[in-house]
Amino acid sequence: MTSMTRRDFTRSAAAGTALIAAGSRARAQTAKTVTLGGSIPFSGSQANTGLNVYEGYKVVVKYVNEKLGGFKVGNELCKLDLQMIDDASDPQRAVTLIQKQIDEGVNFFLGSFSSAIVLPTVAVTERARKPMVQAGGGSDQIFTHGYRYSFGIYPRASRQLNSFVAMLKGMKPQVQTISIAVTNDPYGLPLAAGATEALKEAGIKLLETYKLPPTVNDVSGVLSEIRASTPDVLLAITHEDISTLFVQQMVSTGTDVKVLYMPLGPEIEQFRKTLGKYSNQLLTLIYWEPRVKYSDPIFGNAQAYYEWYKANSSRVWSNQSVAASCCIVCYVTAMQKAGSLDPTKVRDALAALDFTTMYGRVKWTPEGDGDPVLMGPTVGQVQNGAPEIVYPPDAATSKLIYPMSKWAERT
Amino acid sequence: MLQALADGLLQGAVLSLAAAGFSLVFGVMHVLNLTHGVTVLLGAYLALLLWRILGIDPLLTIPLVAALLFALGYAYQRLLIQIAIRRASLMSTLIVTLGIALALRNVLTLVFSPDVQAIRPSYAAEHISLGGIILDVPHLLAFAASLLLLGLLAVILDRTSLGRIIRATAQQPLAARLCAVDVEHVFGLTFGLAAAFAGASGVIVGMLFPFTPTTEGYWTLYAFVVVVLGGAGSPAGALLGGLLLGVVGSFTVRWIGPAFPNAMAFLVLVLMLLIRPNGLLGNAFGASR
Repeated sequence: MTSMTRRDFTRSAAAGTALIAAGSRARAQTAKTVTLGGSIPFSGSQANTGLNVYEGYKVVVKYVNEKLGGFKVGNELCKLDLQMIDDASDPQRAVTLIQKQIDEGVNFFLGSFSSAIVLPTVAVTERARKPMVQAGGGSDQIFTHGYRYSFGIYPRASRQLNSFVAMLKGMKPQVQTISIAVTNDPYGLPLAAGATEALKEAGIKLLETYKLPPTVNDVSGVLSEIRASTPDVLLAITHEDISTLFVQQMVSTGTDVKVLYMPLGPEIEQFRKTLGKYSNQLLTLIYWEPRVKYSDPIFGNAQAYYEWYKANSSRVWSNQSVAASCCIVCYVTAMQKAGSLDPTKVRDALAALDFTTMYGRVKWTPEGDGDPVLMGPTVGQVQNGAPEIVYPPDAATSKLIYPMSKWAERT
Repeated sequence: MLQALADGLLQGAVLSLAAAGFSLVFGVMHVLNLTHGVTVLLGAYLALLLWRILGIDPLLTIPLVAALLFALGYAYQRLLIQIAIRRASLMSTLIVTLGIALALRNVLTLVFSPDVQAIRPSYAAEHISLGGIILDVPHLLAFAASLLLLGLLAVILDRTSLGRIIRATAQQPLAARLCAVDVEHVFGLTFGLAAAFAGASGVIVGMLFPFTPTTEGYWTLYAFVVVVLGGAGSPAGALLGGLLLGVVGSFTVRWIGPAFPNAMAFLVLVLMLLIRPNGLLGNAFGASR
């Protein structure tokens, strides 16, 4: 065994100090982590759309961290850390999870899916003065409580059907009557209320509004009434599962209308695959589609985003996934503009955003929802199994098929 | 009125079949099987696979699906439920079946994704009109299949030696044991039979309604309501309870509003518990207990 001399000790200490110093320099050069927190319905009744939202978040984080190597905020290199926890489609659970993340020091939040979950979680982040950018809730209530830290990619629900009603107004032969079936939830009711108002202004007669419970597996009673009252248009404001049920039972009972519009359902590939030829000619709202030619500060343009999404996601794109991606593009841009990761400064930069992303132009109303003109939906129609934009005319990728073919005549 | 009645009866027959297995297990073993809804969905997903991969008509998959789920149900009872009852109490089965239901729901989500699925056979779009009443072919076939299967269950319980042993064990387990009946085996068979009928109903459910792993709760809940209305243990009770529930739902949509059938179903449930707690036909095995 050898003993350590004073000289050896001094050398070792010097070497150790040098190593520690080198380690400190290495740490100084590594990127700062910016955590984006929030909850997602990975399970429960909203899990199918929840996964679409999550995929949208995931692909952008991957692009920013792996392809770009991070992004600069002031002089500091930053990378994103996505911390989305399963809320099991349960608003109460989501609230608890978000509060826990706030307590753990998370400063920036992304939204869950469905207004019923986003609504209470926004209240929690607002109280803590942490921004939330979300693409999962369109309920008017999210934007009418005076919240300052909440930003939604979609216009509030009551404004989302203006383009659809404008299209109905100009159709030949003229649309005279409409019936609405709506799920009794925070998303459906304001959407129906907004549509009712717009229909009144357009002079289209509303025959009946059928309110459905959130869980339903038979709509034959509603369809019997629709067969009796024969509206020109049926507007079914329902989530994907009930939209599927509606079409299934309309087909099997021979309930025909000239126009069937479903804001949620036909834009999702699984819905179209399940219903096959019966999904053709259904109308839906479309916020985005892969042929758009928008520029983007992170991806360069929408096409590059779409290619990256396809290569890095196991799920087919949907309105929700692209809107979710846009949330993170907004965060990164706002952080860069603010030159700071202070939540209040980032909030102010978010509120001032007016720029073009791969999703389209982003500009919020003073209440935090998407500007209804700049960020409002187009009207889409499923044609040959794929959604096409049919209104407004300057954005149209195909011509509207009207009236719809009868179910029995589909080949 | 006639259209609403027809809609209610067609819907009710499916609810009856979907509740028959739940009713049998509750009537014979006093176990509230909270995995019932998952078993219904397992039937739906198996039929979906056979239809999608092999192109087999869903109605033709019923024997295979029922056989598979019979084996699964038997094993489940012998390996889990029975042990839970022996080591703890009958009440513990509530926790065990709830836990297994949650786990299986997540397994289904992992395997089949949370996406909405539906089975669309070639006749899914057909309907017939009888004097102005529209009857869709899938519901009519489901109605016929439900009556046939409930009839088969009644025959098994009333006319076969297995049925006699099940009834005897349900009425007097100790006496059955003294007569050299392997009671544990009989309980296993009962659970298997219930799972088989739940799976068969799942095939029909998948043919009529869109489904996701999370819809399992609906089928457990409505099976419970059907059993309370009709009475536990017998196919006749399940049929009566299901038809009543279907008609109540349909009339509620017609005259009160489509938002209220669930509320009305539970109102009827509460009334039944107050007026006739054992259901319309009572417990099929309760008389001699």
